[in-house]
Amino acid sequence: MKFTPELSFSGGRVRPLTYDDVDALFELYQQPELPGQRVLENKDNLVRMVDLSVQMAATQRGMMWALEVDDHIIGMVSAFDWQPSLLRTMLRVDGLPQLTLAQRSAALKTCMDFMADKYHLRNFGYQWIEGQNDAIKTMLTDLGFQQSALMRDAWRSGEQSFANVVQFNYVLDKKKPVAGRLGENSDINPGQNLNAADHSNGGDV
Amino acid sequence: MNWNFPAGNFTLRLPLVDQDGAALYDLLKEQTRVDHIPRLAMSVEAQALDELRRMAMRFETREAAFWLVEGAYDQQLLARIGIQKINWMLSSAQLQWELSDAADLPVLQEIMPAVLNFCFAELGLHRIEMRLRAGSEPHETLLQQLGFHYEGCLPAQVEYNDSSVDMALYSFLASDRD
Repeated sequence: MKFTPELSFSGGRVRPLTYDDVDALFELYQQPELPGQRVLENKDNLVRMVDLSVQMAATQRGMMWALEVDDHIIGMVSAFDWQPSLLRTMLRVDGLPQLTLAQRSAALKTCMDFMADKYHLRNFGYQWIEGQNDAIKTMLTDLGFQQSALMRDAWRSGEQSFANVVQFNYVLDKKKPVAGRLGENSDINPGQNLNAADHSNGGDV
Repeated sequence: MNWNFPAGNFTLRLPLVDQDGAALYDLLKEQTRVDHIPRLAMSVEAQALDELRRMAMRFETREAAFWLVEGAYDQQLLARIGIQKINWMLSSAQLQWELSDAADLPVLQEIMPAVLNFCFAELGLHRIEMRLRAGSEPHETLLQQLGFHYEGCLPAQVEYNDSSVDMALYSFLASDRD
């Protein structure tokens, strides 16, 4: 079964991880972008990561996409700390230096739109770690994120060193799904109305 | 490692499943004592037994540690204070407390330095944070009086009583003791 969809965005696409991606992912993690993140030495860990990407998506704990431009993997989009009942998740993008902010932004938006639509998620978090590219913060606010907190020394960058973390959140202004019987609340629970062939109008027939 | 320790006129000890149910229920049956988490108060004593078992399981995996705070002489339960979501990689943990009416600022000024010292010196943690429902008084004032720093407000973190609850974030670092 497939739990992670392939999604297109302007200039590229995101798609599920496969075992064939191990070499490209290994290349990606030779240039880690988080402060203190170690260069990956063992490819076996990536085989395990592909397995995990399937398990996490199947159990709604997280989702990982390979980010492709011109058929080459130049990044990854990850949703983690996914809380289905609380309608929120954290997001992260890892990219090679050639991944532009525009591509990063477009990929992130595509994944958020999917998770909001499919799983009714309405609160997306993103943590910018001191030492990362400053322009990522601007990209996030341009996407609609707002700074929620400055978390002191919340990221460990070395044996005895820590970095501040700026947390951003994007809370969508949309109704929350409400549990109900078939046909009830069909404007916000379109999947509940099995009689509706076209769900684009909220399930109303 | 001894996880039980004294703090001035008080003692902090790990709970005992077969012994502390009644006292814990007395503490946690009042809604005002758990509103800041936010959580519903206990309504039957069996919930306290269940909570004690959960605490024991979470402690076994070193994911959390909860202490019962008692008067050193009268052995009366004043509060439950714990750390949870211990992240040994990031050297951080989340603090949680439920306070009786007797656990005011002077009492906490005796207890909290011992708790924080234990977390930093014995456990090797670097950052202790507390997340609580935004606008929770007097807890937010107490945290500030105890030296915690306000870091911001995380929106829509918890669904409680049909509402999305924003959580205020406070922290205390090992270096804040200097």
